[in-house]
Amino acid sequence: MAEINTYEKEAEEMTRMTVITDKDKFERTNGGFVNLTKDGILFERVKVVRLFPFTDADKYISIRENSAKAKEIGIIEDLGALDENTQEILREQLRLNYFTPVIEKIYNIKDEYGYAYFHVLTDKGECKFAINMASNAVTKLSDSRLIIMDLDENRFEIRDVNALTQKERRKLDLFL
Amino acid sequence: MKDNKLTKNILNKIKEYKIHESDILSVCPIDLSFEGEYILGYIFLTKDYLGVCTSDIPSGYTHFFRGTKVHKKDEDEDLAEYEVKLFDLKKIEHIHVERMIGAVLLSAEYDGAPIKIASLTNTYLEQLNLFVRHTKNIKNGKDFDADIVGKEVEEEDEELLYCPICGTMYPDPAKKVCPKCTNKRTIFARVLKYFFKYKFSIAILFLSYALGAAISVVWPYLTGKVLFDHVLEKDSEYLARFGLAGKFMLALAILALIMIGSRIIEEITNTVQMALMARVATSTVNDIKTDVFSAMSRLSLNFFTSKQTGGLMTRVLSDSNRVTEFFIDGIPSIFIHGMTIIITFVVMYRLNWQMALIACILLPLLVFMTVKLRPGLWNLSGKRHRAEKAVSSKANDNLTGARVVKAFGQEEAEIERFTNPNNNLKEAEINIVKLRNKFTILYSLVQEISSIWIWIIGVFFVLKTDKIDLGVLLTFVGYVAHLNGPMNFFSRVFRMWSESINAAQRLFEIIDSIPEIVEKENPIHLMKPRGEIELSNVTFGYTVSRNVLKNINLKVKEGEVLGIVGRSGAGKSTLVNLISRLYDVKEGSIKIDGVDVKDLSLSDLRKNVAMVSQDTYIFMGSVAKNIAYGNENATGDEIIRAAKLAGAHDFISKMPDGYDTVIGASGKDLSGGEKQRISIARAILADPKILILDEATASVDTETEKAIQNSLKLLVKGRTTLSIAHRLSTLRDADRLIVIDNGRIVEEGTHAELDQNEEGFFHKLNELQNKSLAVTNF
Repeated sequence: MAEINTYEKEAEEMTRMTVITDKDKFERTNGGFVNLTKDGILFERVKVVRLFPFTDADKYISIRENSAKAKEIGIIEDLGALDENTQEILREQLRLNYFTPVIEKIYNIKDEYGYAYFHVLTDKGECKFAINMASNAVTKLSDSRLIIMDLDENRFEIRDVNALTQKERRKLDLFL
Repeated sequence: MKDNKLTKNILNKIKEYKIHESDILSVCPIDLSFEGEYILGYIFLTKDYLGVCTSDIPSGYTHFFRGTKVHKKDEDEDLAEYEVKLFDLKKIEHIHVERMIGAVLLSAEYDGAPIKIASLTNTYLEQLNLFVRHTKNIKNGKDFDADIVGKEVEEEDEELLYCPICGTMYPDPAKKVCPKCTNKRTIFARVLKYFFKYKFSIAILFLSYALGAAISVVWPYLTGKVLFDHVLEKDSEYLARFGLAGKFMLALAILALIMIGSRIIEEITNTVQMALMARVATSTVNDIKTDVFSAMSRLSLNFFTSKQTGGLMTRVLSDSNRVTEFFIDGIPSIFIHGMTIIITFVVMYRLNWQMALIACILLPLLVFMTVKLRPGLWNLSGKRHRAEKAVSSKANDNLTGARVVKAFGQEEAEIERFTNPNNNLKEAEINIVKLRNKFTILYSLVQEISSIWIWIIGVFFVLKTDKIDLGVLLTFVGYVAHLNGPMNFFSRVFRMWSESINAAQRLFEIIDSIPEIVEKENPIHLMKPRGEIELSNVTFGYTVSRNVLKNINLKVKEGEVLGIVGRSGAGKSTLVNLISRLYDVKEGSIKIDGVDVKDLSLSDLRKNVAMVSQDTYIFMGSVAKNIAYGNENATGDEIIRAAKLAGAHDFISKMPDGYDTVIGASGKDLSGGEKQRISIARAILADPKILILDEATASVDTETEKAIQNSLKLLVKGRTTLSIAHRLSTLRDADRLIVIDNGRIVEEGTHAELDQNEEGFFHKLNELQNKSLAVTNF
C-alpha cells in the first residue's frame, strides 16, 4: 500500500503548479550555469524555459531540473518582478537558449530553384543564409512579425515588417 | 557544413602549447559565445586535451550558414587573434551536447563541476556530434574513429559538398543539386521531355498551327490588295498572270472561292488543334501526376510528417495542370505568333517600307517594358502558390477536425480563420491579374496607336502624294489589326511561362527528393524466414540531437512473444518502427535472421513484418478489400477466416452489405474498435513471420479484447511477436517482457520475475493497475 501512495504522490506532483517567488534563490555557478535553492532544496544547473517565447517572452518562465526527465521545479510568473540581479542571471541563460538574431536590414533575397538565399544585416552582424521554400521555413507570428528558419533550423526574426523600407519589403514580398 | 581543419593561424598559435598539426584528431568549428554573440572559433581534440579557440569577429565579417558559402580554392586567410583554452581530457566527464532553441551547448563535468565548453549555432551540430563521439572514443581508450562508419566518413570529402560550376555549397549534400545553377532553362528542357512521348501528335499540331498562320497572313492580302487593287480595279495585267485576263467576274468568283476555302481550312485546323491539344495535354498531365505520386510514395515517412497534406495536394493536383498550360498552349503559339508577326512585317515592308516603319516604331518600347515587368510575375506566381497552399491546408485541417470544431462550437471562429488565408489568395490573384492587365493594356495601346497612325499617315499618302492605292492602305490596316491576336498573346505568354516553370520547379523538387530509406543494390532475399530479431547497440532519434532510443540490445528468438511495456513517449513505438525499417537506425544495427535490415530487400521485409498499430488506415473501398490490402489474391474463405480470428466477422455480417460494404472516405462508418479489428484481420491474412502489435487492442472493449486475445493466441503460434501494451493484462501470455524507460531497456524478464522486483517500474505499474481494477470492480 505504501508504494501506491508514492505513486499517487508522483501523480499529484505532476499536476501541481508551483510558483517561484523572491524567496527562492538563484545563483550563478563558476561553470556558467544556474543553481536554484527552493524550500531548502538545492537544484543544480537548472533549465530556464520560456512558456510563451513569442507572445510574452518575460512572463511564465518554467524552471526545470537538469535530468533526462527535466521535471518542473516551478514557474516564474513575471521575470520583470524579480530583483535585478536574479533577472540578469536568468536572462544570461535565456540569451543563449533562445539565440535569435533580429534582422534589421535586408540586402538581398534571391529565389532559386526551391531555395531562397538571404543576405541580411542582423543585430548580431551580417549574415548570409538559405531557406528551403518547400518546408515551412517562414512562420508568421502576426501580420508583421516573422520567424525565418534556415536549413539547419537556425532562427532569424523580423520584428516588424513595416519598419523595413519599401524596397526591403518588396524583396520580402514573396513571404508576406 | 564541413569545416574540419584548423587554420594555419591557429596551428601556429597552439604550437606554444606543444601541439602540432599531427596531434589533432578531430575539429569542429564553433560560432557563438556564451553571451549569445557570434564569434570565430574551433574546438579540437588531441590525445590528451580538448582545446577551445575563440576570437571576436573582425568588423565587416559576414556569417555564412549552410548552403551559402562560396568555396574558395585557397584557404581563406585567417588573421584573427585567438584565445586558446585547454581542458585536460582526463578530467572531463559526461561530455554532452545540449540542443537549445536557437543554439547548441557543449557541456561537461570538469573536475566534478559542471562547465560550459562551447556554444554554437545549429550549423555545426552534426559535426559536433561526431566530435563528441570522437572524444568519447578517446576517453574510452578506443581508436578515435571506432564505430564511426559509412555516411559520416563519406562526408569528410569536402570537395563533394560544393557545386563544381559556381562553387557554392549544396543546400542538401545528399541531393547534390545546386539551385543557383539549375536555372529556368533546365527546368524547361526537363518538362519538354514529357512531351517527346507524343512526338507525332505534336508534329501534326505544329503543322496545323502553321497552316492556320499562313492563311491568316494571306487573308488581309486577299481581301485588301487582291480584291480592291487588282480585281475591283480590273487590273488586266495582274489577272493575265493567272490566265484570267478580262474575265473579271470569273476572277471575282475564284477569289471568293479561295476565300471561302481558306476559311474552311482554318476551321478544320482549329478543330484538329483542339482535339490534339486536349489529348496531349491530358496525357502529359497524367504522366506528370503519376511521376509525382510515385515519387511521393517512394519517400520515407519523414517527408510526410514534415509537410502539410494540403500543400502536397496542391502540388499533385493543380501544379501539374499549370505546367502543361504553357507547353501546350504557349510554345506552339510563340512559334506561330512569332512567325505571323515576322511575316506580317516582311509583307508590310515589301508593300511600303515607310509605312511599315511607322507601324513598328513603338516595338522597342514594348520590349523594354516587358523585360522590366517580367520578374514581378515570377514572384507573384510563387506567392499565389503559397497562398493557395495555405488555403488548402486550412481547409484540409478543418475538415478532418470537423468533429472537434463542432463540439466546441467554433464554427464561426473557424470561418473567420479561414477568411484570412482566403483573402490572401484573393489578393495574390488580384495582383497577378493587375500585372497581367498592365501587359495587356501596354500591348493593346501599342497596337491601337500604331493602327491610328497608319490610318492618318496612310490617308495622307493616299490623298496627297498618291504614292499608295486605297487597297494597299486597306491591306496595311488589315495587317496592323491582324497583329492584334499575336500581340495579345505575347502579353499573356510571360505569365504563362512563369506560372508553368514555377509549378514545374515544385514538382521536380518532389520527383528529385531522395528517399531516406533506400534498398541496397542486390538486396538479400529472405527465402525461408525464421523471424529471429537481434538489435545491437541501437541508438536512434528523430532529430539530430535528441535520441529517443539509446544503446538498445535485444534478442528475440524465433516464435517468441515479447511484450514491451513503458510510459508513453518512452520509445516503444519507435523501437518497432525501426524493426520494420520505417526509419533507419543512427547507430548500431538491427538484424533479422542474422541479416542487417538495411541489406534486406524492402518488399521481403515488409511482407514478413506486419504491424497492427494505434493509428489504423482504412481506405475507401469494401471491407473485404480492406482486409485483403497487400494481399490481393486472397479468397473469400481466407478473408472470412481472418476476420473471424480478429473478432471482426460478427460486426461485418451485421452490416447490410456484409463484406462488400463500402467504407467511406475516412472510414467514418466504423468505430475505432471496428477499424482496429479490421487491421488485425489484415495482419492475420498477410501471414507474416514477424507480427508487431502496437497497442493493437487499445480501443476495443474488454469483452472484444478477450476475444481477440484468444485469437491472437492462435495467431502468434509459429511467429515472432512483439506486443506493445499499456494494459499489462494484455501481455499475460508473453514469454518475456521488457520495460523501456527514457529510451533504454530498464527491466527484462517474465511476468513473474519482473513482478518480484518490488523496486521496479513493472511491479509498481502492475500494482497500480490491479488496484484501479479492484476499485472498478466494486
